[in-house]
Amino acid sequence: MPRYGMVVDVTRCNGCYNCFIACKDEYCGIARPGYSAPQPMTGQTWMKILPKERGQFPKVKQDYIAIPCMQCEKPGCAEGSDGAVYKRGDGIVMVDPEKAKDRPEIVSKCPYRVIYWNEIEQVGQKCTFCAHLLDAGWKEPRCVEACPTGTLIFGDLDAPDSAVSQAWKRAEAMHPEYGMGDKVRFIGLPKNFVAGAVVFGDKDECAKGATVTLEGEGREATAVTDGFGDFEFEGLPGGASFTLSIAAPGYMGQTFTVKTSKSIYLGDIILEKSS
Amino acid sequence: MAAIGNEPTKPDTSVDKTVYKALGLSGGIFGASPCAVDVKDGKIIRIRPLHWGEKYDFQSFNPWKITRNGKAFEPLHKSVPAPWSLAYKKRTYSPNRVKYPLKRVDWDPSGAPDSTGPGGRNPQNRGKSKFVRISWDEATDLIAAEIKRIHKEYGPLAILVQGDGHGECKMIHAPHGCSTLLFDKMGGFTQQVRNPDSWEGWYWGAKHVWGKGFIGMMAPADNVVKDICENSDMVVVWGGDPETTHWGFRGQLASRLLFFWNQVGIKQVYICPDLNYSACIHGDKWIPVLPNTDAALQLAIIYTWITEGTYDKEYVETHTVGFDKIKAYVLGEEDGTPKTPKWASAKCGVPTWTIKALARDWAKKAVTIGHYFAGGMARGPYAHEPARLEVILLGMQGLGKPGVHQTQIAYTGMPKNIIAGGKDHMGTFGNLVGTPAGERILKPHRGTPTAWGKQMVPKTLIEEAIKKGTVDFWGTGGHEEETANQYKKYTYPIPKEDGGTEFHMMWTDTPCRQTCWNCGNDVAETVRDPKIECVVAQHPWLENDCIFADIVLPTNTTLEVDDISPCLRDGDSFQSVILMRKAIEPVGESKSDYEAIVEVAKKLGMEEAVTEGFTVEDLIHLTYTGMKFDKIISWEEFQEKDYFVIPVSPEWEKWPAGLFNFYKDPEANPIPTPTGKLEFYSESLAEAFPNDEERPPIPKWIEKGITHDERISSKRAQAYPLLVLSNHGRWRVHAQGDDIPWSKEAMTGKVRGFDGYLYEPCWINPQDAAARGIQNGDIVRVHNERGSVLCGALVFERVMPGAVSIDHGARTDYIIPGRLDRGGAINTITPEGLTSRHAAGQATTAFLVEVERVSMQQMDEWRRNHPEAFAREYDLASGLRFNAWVEGGR
Repeated sequence: MPRYGMVVDVTRCNGCYNCFIACKDEYCGIARPGYSAPQPMTGQTWMKILPKERGQFPKVKQDYIAIPCMQCEKPGCAEGSDGAVYKRGDGIVMVDPEKAKDRPEIVSKCPYRVIYWNEIEQVGQKCTFCAHLLDAGWKEPRCVEACPTGTLIFGDLDAPDSAVSQAWKRAEAMHPEYGMGDKVRFIGLPKNFVAGAVVFGDKDECAKGATVTLEGEGREATAVTDGFGDFEFEGLPGGASFTLSIAAPGYMGQTFTVKTSKSIYLGDIILEKSS
Repeated sequence: MAAIGNEPTKPDTSVDKTVYKALGLSGGIFGASPCAVDVKDGKIIRIRPLHWGEKYDFQSFNPWKITRNGKAFEPLHKSVPAPWSLAYKKRTYSPNRVKYPLKRVDWDPSGAPDSTGPGGRNPQNRGKSKFVRISWDEATDLIAAEIKRIHKEYGPLAILVQGDGHGECKMIHAPHGCSTLLFDKMGGFTQQVRNPDSWEGWYWGAKHVWGKGFIGMMAPADNVVKDICENSDMVVVWGGDPETTHWGFRGQLASRLLFFWNQVGIKQVYICPDLNYSACIHGDKWIPVLPNTDAALQLAIIYTWITEGTYDKEYVETHTVGFDKIKAYVLGEEDGTPKTPKWASAKCGVPTWTIKALARDWAKKAVTIGHYFAGGMARGPYAHEPARLEVILLGMQGLGKPGVHQTQIAYTGMPKNIIAGGKDHMGTFGNLVGTPAGERILKPHRGTPTAWGKQMVPKTLIEEAIKKGTVDFWGTGGHEEETANQYKKYTYPIPKEDGGTEFHMMWTDTPCRQTCWNCGNDVAETVRDPKIECVVAQHPWLENDCIFADIVLPTNTTLEVDDISPCLRDGDSFQSVILMRKAIEPVGESKSDYEAIVEVAKKLGMEEAVTEGFTVEDLIHLTYTGMKFDKIISWEEFQEKDYFVIPVSPEWEKWPAGLFNFYKDPEANPIPTPTGKLEFYSESLAEAFPNDEERPPIPKWIEKGITHDERISSKRAQAYPLLVLSNHGRWRVHAQGDDIPWSKEAMTGKVRGFDGYLYEPCWINPQDAAARGIQNGDIVRVHNERGSVLCGALVFERVMPGAVSIDHGARTDYIIPGRLDRGGAINTITPEGLTSRHAAGQATTAFLVEVERVSMQQMDEWRRNHPEAFAREYDLASGLRFNAWVEGGR
């Protein structure tokens, strides 16, 4: 029996919402007996898209993070549910649409907040990896089929050559600290960046080739500005403090203290000629 | 711990049938990314991508492959439709569907044209009064009587056909233009000629530099995708948004191409006021430019190249004419103002150092300019100027040499298939001409690209034509016209002895003029003119201009009919032809656009004339044979499989890329301009319009002119200091798709206001928002002298200060018709003026507005003063509802 998992490669996502739409197409207003009650027409996002905007004008990055149920090895939602939530042999976590009725506490047990309360059906609901389709012979859930870019990689985690197993090696859990044994992992979850644009003030030109050094948190990194004078340090931890210094021969250097409570764009940094 | 292993027995996921449909929204004859539609118990239960190899051996398609740096760009094994294609059942089952024929309650055709009150026609109430249900029999009786009366009174040209534009992809049940099947047989009609609204700058500008092109864009564009992948160092994506606008046409292959360029290190620079949906994912660099100031930036790049000597002098010498005049203008010898980076920076908002760095980087590299339609770059006032300057930029760097092209990304230039070989991508349709039903099949589709009516009015001038009774224009604006057509003057109406008359009846199957064209608020005003005696709309949804009609015929969607769709436009992995079988029974009493016309024709004794004796099944088969698909798949096999993937030509790599032949030998391979060269200076324009300061013989920076005053330097900017960027919609194609509830849930879909209403997003930079006390999610009023539009603020770093971004095409929901729209239809307040005096395009982006926060008190006041607008039933998920406008309607 396979053990199903998914890797979400955030670096491949174009934010088209096809996965989100295909999921709604499959479930809104349609019961899948034994698997799920009808999803309300709007308001639930079994495949949730979390848009993350980072930086400040004009250095802005946009990522979209597709978040289904993590299909945890140790599903908190199942604990104490008396079988209303259960894990299948293939690892898919199911909320039984009958047994879970009138049990809203199941919803609040999920730290990822991906179980949704259905007011009409009085039941908690979530992504099932389209178990009803897999059981009928489909190879992948609707969201994966609808994905045009290869962001969503699905398959058997126990098959070492499967695409998902290969991608898994590069992927990280969204919240490893929860310790839930997530079977959905991510590549390229956005971290923080520090960036800026350096200008030679006397020439009114972009400073190409300036050396930018970032120090702090026990690390040091160096970047060289490109033809637009741009530099960037990507993948920095949050809540850290760094010293950033800029040096270019013949120009007075500049030093900044930057705190990565969010991504920081330092804007145009004008270097003056050294006397 | 969770119980293990109590999974249910094998589920029943059977379907009654699966049909295939081209569910793009570009409409007409070109098709779309095909989808599979699962149907059970008479309902659509699932729409999914088509797996090309579902019924064929994938290798039999001869899949193409393009490589660079050892990495390959190849077709996927499935189609890649847009999100709304997958959500299309929500359009078919929309609460806004017209379910039966309607008549405006206070339109009584027994009244005189200008009669008001009981028994009158009450034209003054169009857009205000509601509708009542009538039968098809009553509706077609009324319409037939009106046609006869109008013909008798004024002649056939007194009927205006608004039958053009985008829509569903159906050959036989064409969403637009079916009425011409009838009127063409009854003496003709006045044609509303659809200007190339997404191509304005290239059509009215670039054509004068490099000839007709493809609606003014670079042609031929054969194999440019391969060539860019192999040879370009950088692609400057200027204005358009391939991640968005390709969706309407062919799905999402453009996205995959942009990812491939990222992967192999082809640098992508995006020049646009907003960090659009492509820029934010694929951009190596975003250069924000104030809306419609691209010409200033372009001139400063030219200035840098000239002063630094970094352009291709030999190419300019041998391939172009008029460079000396450009040089004199750019260096300031003509007008005393050198177009320096500093000069440009003050106008366009790009720092001087960035302009220089871009110019220098560009000069060192093989650079292609990429688009997906014009975005903000070539749809604003004087759009022909940046569009012409763009060709000059390319011409100064050796246009046509490997890696140097203009490209509509993935829209053209993909590998050719076995039947399109040697022709442009429209060529295959030419096969229909001269076949038994070819003209009959093509006729409804001709209204969009071709000016063929006996009497014509450009779509941009309809309201002016009503107001003034006559209009002059230069060039029809038809997509397929030659460049020289733009030097020809036309007058509406044509001479009386030729049958000329003002139009007095309007027939629309494209009722979105308010939300897609210039100054939509004028529609509300002019359609109430008593000389417009009857307005008929045929449409699946009760929206936009339909509300202003006297009679509405309910038509249906592609899921409700049998049809055929050749999907021949570039931009998916493969081209294909789809036998589109009916998925479900028509909703309500709806009929197809074609069937609706046949119903009317019956009442006029014209049924045989319209059908020419063919059934729908005949016409589908005759399309198949006429286009010579019978040479590649038998009718029996096609009927069995319902789709066919047209194999890629084994010779696809042999076509030279773009203008390579012209680059290599311009004398032997001239381009279609009078001189055969790139005309930086156009003698033809100089001769035709010697005093035109808005489109002079060389492209210039036009600060303002007789047609437009929409710059931040304008006095108007004191009251209206922000420039609107209005792109083609992310979650719509023009006006199509605004009722899909699911895409509204996307962050940039809609903004739910404090009153629960779903407002169209207005992107505003935090700096501009803070200055106005606007917070994310606030309801805002976007306004100028032409009216007000309510939107929902999306306070966003992804738009530059000084600009606000509002997609066009939201459905109107007037609080005060013609003055205040709650639906977010930004085109209601776009300029009335054309692209310029002699260019009858639309200028529907880059215009001045102010944005203010709407308080609860203000909303209460509107609610008190216009209770009828707020009493209309509204669907919290989908928005507008059919029954809001129908007395007793459910």
